[in-house]
Amino acid sequence: MTDPIVPQPEAAPEAPKGPYVYDYAASPQRQVVMPKTVPLPSRRTYLAEVKAAAEADEAKWQKMLADFETAKTKAEAEGKDAPKPPVRPVPRKDDNDMKTPWPEEAKDADLLLLQACLGAKVEEVFEQAGELTCQVSKDTILEVLLLCRDHADLRYEMLADQTATHYPAATGWDYSVVYHLTSISRRKRLRLRILVPEGFIPDSACAAYPSANWMEREIYDMLGITFANHPDMTRILCPDDWEGHALRKDYPVVGWGQRDIAFREDRGGMIERIALQKAGQLGINLKQPKAE
Amino acid sequence: MFKNEEMEINLGPQHPSTHGVLRVKLRLDGETITHCKPIIGYLHRGVEKICENQTFFQGQVWTDRMDYCSAVANNLGWAEANEKLFGITVPRRAQYIRTMLNEFNRLASHLIWLATHALDIGAMTVFLYAFREREDILDLNEAFCGSRLTTTAFRIGGLREDLPPGFEKMARKFLAKFETCLEEYENLLSENRIWKKRTIGVAKLSAEDAIALGVTGPVLRAAGVPYDIRKAFPYAAYAEMDFEVPTQTAADTYARYLVRMAEMRQSARIVQQCLDGMPEGPVMAKIPKILKPEVNEVYHATEAPKGEIGYYLVGEKGSTNPYRFHVRAPGFINLQCLPKMAEGALIADIVAAIGTLDIVLGEIDR
Amino acid sequence: MNQPTALEQILITTKVEKVMNWSRATSVWPVTFGLACCAIEMMAAGASRFDFDRFGAGIFRATPRQADLMIIAGTVTYKMAPTIKLLYDQMPEPKWVIAMGSCATAGGPFDSYHTVQGVDKIIPVDVFIPGCPPRPESLIYGFLKLQDKIMTSSLADRYKDIFEEVG
Ligand code: SF4
Repeated sequence: MTDPIVPQPEAAPEAPKGPYVYDYAASPQRQVVMPKTVPLPSRRTYLAEVKAAAEADEAKWQKMLADFETAKTKAEAEGKDAPKPPVRPVPRKDDNDMKTPWPEEAKDADLLLLQACLGAKVEEVFEQAGELTCQVSKDTILEVLLLCRDHADLRYEMLADQTATHYPAATGWDYSVVYHLTSISRRKRLRLRILVPEGFIPDSACAAYPSANWMEREIYDMLGITFANHPDMTRILCPDDWEGHALRKDYPVVGWGQRDIAFREDRGGMIERIALQKAGQLGINLKQPKAE
Repeated sequence: MFKNEEMEINLGPQHPSTHGVLRVKLRLDGETITHCKPIIGYLHRGVEKICENQTFFQGQVWTDRMDYCSAVANNLGWAEANEKLFGITVPRRAQYIRTMLNEFNRLASHLIWLATHALDIGAMTVFLYAFREREDILDLNEAFCGSRLTTTAFRIGGLREDLPPGFEKMARKFLAKFETCLEEYENLLSENRIWKKRTIGVAKLSAEDAIALGVTGPVLRAAGVPYDIRKAFPYAAYAEMDFEVPTQTAADTYARYLVRMAEMRQSARIVQQCLDGMPEGPVMAKIPKILKPEVNEVYHATEAPKGEIGYYLVGEKGSTNPYRFHVRAPGFINLQCLPKMAEGALIADIVAAIGTLDIVLGEIDR
Repeated sequence: MNQPTALEQILITTKVEKVMNWSRATSVWPVTFGLACCAIEMMAAGASRFDFDRFGAGIFRATPRQADLMIIAGTVTYKMAPTIKLLYDQMPEPKWVIAMGSCATAGGPFDSYHTVQGVDKIIPVDVFIPGCPPRPESLIYGFLKLQDKIMTSSLADRYKDIFEEVG
């Protein structure tokens, strides 16, 4: 015979404890961390940094010497043994197979030629990691591209890549747009760079290189820079009615709440039909979450 | 504006011959295409954004999933771009193994192209044959890194592991039979009347247009421009390899077929050289456990099976994540020339035009 | 010993439901629908070495109107989601869905702004196959599981809503 089942008081469901539960909302992916520095490679800032570091080093050394002097006079006055003289610290040597590429002075003939042709329009030229970089002023980019394409000694026939980067911490400008040119006949590569502030409309490269068409559309889609005289300045990857520009640094990886769609409840297909009608594009109507 | 007889139709995003989720808006006048507009983004997964929020070591995983037909080529570009950013020198043995795996990968990717392109045009048999050989290459992948498709084959600074025992034997066995397999495909296609009718003179793209539109890879070489990054800007161990860059001048679908078939032969040759001349030594450079770059930006381009794949990286001082990560996907740029190829052609030819570009939507949309 | 009667030798007695389930389970027609990397493994499952045809599922149909199985092989994005729903609605009943790969089951590695975190947010799914990508063997195993499910499904369950409405 078995015991009659005694009704047990129902235990309250235990709250899941800390380390076993992954706090989704606090996951690092969901946080937007704004960058504090402006990692724009440049020989000028590099030289300034090197100079500042050398000065700081020298100042430290002088302070050590001064400290030593005072300690010595103090010890002599008290009749104790003199302290050891300081040794200047040498940077630690590491045995890794790494050799950090620094921005070097421009020696390549192409960069010198560009500098000679354009004069004050060139803001900076340098070489780093074997790559040539030429930063020009933002209004003249189309002129420079045409020069690179047509000049008999440059002959950069192909625009291999064009992209942009968001630098929210910079002052006076917000984005850098880079153009990677390839010369098939001369086997050379060149990077052109412009710095544009928010709202500035640079000239489209399509007039010089038709391949810029989609790349500029992608830049517009991802970073929100529009280009003047572009044949078709629309979004390319995200749906037409998307909100925000994903590759800006203030955009979270997981987006702005576009994920609150539930088509399964959409029995008659209404949500989706509306979405289909919108602009003739198979997009979804999206809402920005309310601020809380 | 529409003319009276014009009609607009929609190809994709679910269409068996668009190789994934490409959508093409076509305007037709009878059977002739008057206007063609590819619409992409149906597989946009935000790889660039995800990468910018992860460390340099984690980044490689995403490159597998961009061009999933040639994951190793993507891995190679990623690893080398990082090595350029940090200034790392890779040991010679690692370079050789990378080169070899990359060429095996080129074979696998071209085999997929051959299979699906032939299937689109109506030759089912080639599909079955090509996948048979591809499985052997995937076995090699599996032996090396444990995964068939998403390989994550390399590490920044070299390789995680040396070649497994028995790999060389497997590779040699595959190479020994591969030449006959290639002949088998050529017997099926090269002189096939239907194949020739549907490819010769179809989807032409002249060299000037190709260069202006930034097209690279076999499509450019089939127009007579011998531009191959393995030769023009040698990377990995390609400077020590002896191979040719096959070109054609007809610039049509058939010429691209011939170029890719010839490329497969050259790839097999390179693999053979790698196996024969494999140096001894370590496979991993000495690098710190945590990589932190100095301020630097690099653009590193390598020759993927589809064309030039370029990685643009910006390093932030003292940060373990790339500040900016951008991929110049060959498919993305190559697809731009589809309107040029298709406009004025018959509607049946758009399938050949899409097939001959050898696009993979994963890398186009990223 | 029980000798079968003459009638029993030529007849099998069974339920209509069972016959229908059997015929459905052994000739499933999937719709060709590759989204991303997993689609390559799906193709490999259909090709020489793995040969999906052995299970009666080798005829990949190009149109959803002729198919009764949808293998979601790849990442579902917000731009693609309405199309998937549309395709699913176009398929005739009875229909089944296999979510292949971790992207289709739960968003996979792509926890980002443009990825739907699992296709089950959009359409009902019968079988989930994990893996990134799942090997063709996994797809075959998942398909066998689906066959089991089809074999045990009953007409009464499927049309329960209608029966309840009629009374
Ligand atoms: S699960 Fe993995 S292999 Fe499959 S589609 Fe997603 S990323 Fe690609």
